[in-house]
Amino acid sequence: MPDVAVKPTTGDTTGGSRDGTPPAAFDAIVVGAGPAGAAAALTLARAGKSVALLERGIFPGAKNMYGGVVYGRVLDHLVPNWWQDVPYQRWVSRRATMLMTPTQSLTIDYRSDRWIEAPYNGMTAYRADFDAWLAAKAEEAGATLVCSTTATSLLRGADGRIRGVSTDRPDGDLTARVVIACDGVNSFLAKSAGLYQAFDPSNFTVAVKEVLRLPREVIDERCRLTGDEGLDIEIVGCTAGIPGGGFFYTNRDSVAVGIVVSVIGLAAARVRPEKLLADLKKHPSIAPLVRDGELLEYSAHTIPEGGYDVMPELVGDRLLIAGDAAAMCLAAGIWLEGVNFAIGSGAAAGEAAAEALDQGDASVAALAGYRRRIEANFVLADHRKFRRVPHLIMSERVQRQYPPFVCDIVEKMFTVDNPTPKLGLRRWANDARRTHGVRLRDLLRDGAVGLRSFG
Amino acid sequence: MSGADTATTPQSRPSVGVALKFVPLRVEVNPLTGMVSADDRLAGASPADEAALEYGLRFAEAWGWDLLVASAGDHRCEPMLRAAMAAGANAAIRVVLPTDTAAPVVAAALAEALGDCLVLLCGDYSLDRGTGSVPAYLAAQLGAAQALGLVSVAAVGEGTVEGERRLDGGRRERLRIPAPAVLSVEAGVRLRRAPLPAVLRARSAPLQVLPTPVPYAIDPAAGTRRPYRPRPKALPSPAATMSARDRVLMLTGALSERRTPAAVRTNDPVQAADIVLTFLRERGYIS
Ligand SMILES: Cc1cc2nc3c(=O)[nH]c(=O)nc-3n(C[C@H](O)[C@H](O)[C@H](O)COP(=O)(O)OP(=O)(O)OC[C@H]3O[C@@H](n4cnc5c(N)ncnc54)[C@H](O)[C@@H]3O)c2cc1C
Repeated sequence: MPDVAVKPTTGDTTGGSRDGTPPAAFDAIVVGAGPAGAAAALTLARAGKSVALLERGIFPGAKNMYGGVVYGRVLDHLVPNWWQDVPYQRWVSRRATMLMTPTQSLTIDYRSDRWIEAPYNGMTAYRADFDAWLAAKAEEAGATLVCSTTATSLLRGADGRIRGVSTDRPDGDLTARVVIACDGVNSFLAKSAGLYQAFDPSNFTVAVKEVLRLPREVIDERCRLTGDEGLDIEIVGCTAGIPGGGFFYTNRDSVAVGIVVSVIGLAAARVRPEKLLADLKKHPSIAPLVRDGELLEYSAHTIPEGGYDVMPELVGDRLLIAGDAAAMCLAAGIWLEGVNFAIGSGAAAGEAAAEALDQGDASVAALAGYRRRIEANFVLADHRKFRRVPHLIMSERVQRQYPPFVCDIVEKMFTVDNPTPKLGLRRWANDARRTHGVRLRDLLRDGAVGLRSFG
Repeated sequence: MSGADTATTPQSRPSVGVALKFVPLRVEVNPLTGMVSADDRLAGASPADEAALEYGLRFAEAWGWDLLVASAGDHRCEPMLRAAMAAGANAAIRVVLPTDTAAPVVAAALAEALGDCLVLLCGDYSLDRGTGSVPAYLAAQLGAAQALGLVSVAAVGEGTVEGERRLDGGRRERLRIPAPAVLSVEAGVRLRRAPLPAVLRARSAPLQVLPTPVPYAIDPAAGTRRPYRPRPKALPSPAATMSARDRVLMLTGALSERRTPAAVRTNDPVQAADIVLTFLRERGYIS
């Protein structure tokens, strides 16, 4: 591409004149300015590389949705003291996990003062603010952010090797020595590069979410919060037996409530997801939290929940895949983490790409530093550790049997029905097991999986 | 024309000018407090301003002229001006001016930036409760012909434009407008999509910034923020001797005889102006 007013590429031997093609316009192109893309562009720009960060939205985050909690510690190295200017809504001081049946609920609710002081644990944040903030950091470091521009395909040279991407703009081919695909779930760049073996819908969930406006004081009072404190509730058993779960998060003057269900399960049940969400909002344990909320936003998105076992090849010739594009969202029941994995993998991809560019070689072998980096940090370590959890969480037992089983035991524990004497935990558990068809064998096996993963 | 590709001095050829205003394209009303807020990331040129830019690009292409864009406002309007350069404008000028400045001052600012342009285009009125008066003031300042609220325009001979305007009763009038002229257009045509190389170049293209124009500097009140109020209709107070009922009737105009509004239906501009003036005189608006 002629005469582009950006930082010159640093010593072009890849994708450039060596094979007779004109030199690349950029050292690297990062597709998608979500958390993964912004982190990749940031590390590349800091390494002195010229990098174009392409985003299809009118600004980073404009098109993005998630539940609402970002675990920010992954930013410690990228943006020192990030908490001083990150556009947060609330610092999560209370983490709760709720087991639910249509008429019961059991909540394990933990609160800590330590989570409301730097360096904090989690924050609720709007994606439109958070993604824009992180992408602005990449721009400050020298990345060229180009919005309202969709990458439509990988651009290949006569030799078949990747030379950049084509976009939906007139004259829209853009060349680079390496491409990092951070285009989110269902990444068509990763698919078109052949990095996914097979695309199995059972590895995906679909989420629907409402953001409801409520006065700040009302949220504080209902959720027992003060100041900047926030509440995060993950819910199991709220999806009418369809594998999935729900969530409730507090922002400053709005709350987010949503459900996440298996795509296959939803199709089989022939239920509309908004019906499931409406039912969750009506549940006696949730209704008082959302009452009178004014609907601000309704959104839906898919989540790659398959985990470690369904990740694609992460490295191709002149191509790296990071974040949701590489199925790096960790849905382990009590956590739904994706933004931190996206940032962790994006940053590692940027560093590995910079290293390869320094060597003048962006082949699969030269880019292997990416996998090495994420094997060594939490990205693949956590995914490997929890590789069996997504299947466990989505199993028939966790979804249908365990919530009423546990709720019944707890209900019996707290029910005083004298003159009947208290039967004791073992009796109650056995009764509940029989009522709900829970087999001891399954309980032990699932317990072992849980212990191995979380222990 | 892919303007950003053309490396000519903007003033070396005759030019078309387009005035753009940075306006909120989406506002949010807090249902709990009634507070209205606008997100700058969702702000920019209105569809009418974009239509003006598209027509400007077409004229510049047809006549081989340059295209200049200008905006009066603060730094927030710069991305909008860069987007216009990416779409094909040869140069962009920002005149430093606070938002909500009175229309005559905005026109003075734009006249300073685009005064040398022979054909000037604006959107018909700005989305943030504009009245569409800036193009009229601009034409008056520059001593140019004005054709406002056009549905569509097309270049005919060099420097001459043919435009179509709505009339009452679903009719249209077609005007031939020679330069120098100020035109304002309705939203309609879509702005072309900027080519990628031009988008990249526009990011670092020079953008001229002019200081606040003199009229604003000498009359600071001209730019003060005022809440929108429809102009009050001045009524003579009823005589104290009248009964309460008659006073109310007089003030409200109830039961009084009215003339139905008259449409001016003539193709002769002089005759039309006479009809309008007589009407205003009869009703005491002018003497
Ligand atoms: C309902 C829901 C709840 C969630 N809750 C949480 C949570 O509470 N905490 C958490 O950490 N994670 C959560 N996640 C997961 C998290 O949102 C993702 O893991 C994370 O956003 C992945 O980041 P990413 O940068 O890889 O992809 P994305 O955030 O999807 O960003 C991809 C970017 O690429 C752009 N793009 C896509 N295709 C193109 C293209 N062809 N050309 C140009 N640009 C393109 C998109 O516009 C977007 O900006 C949730 C997800 C969902 C759906």
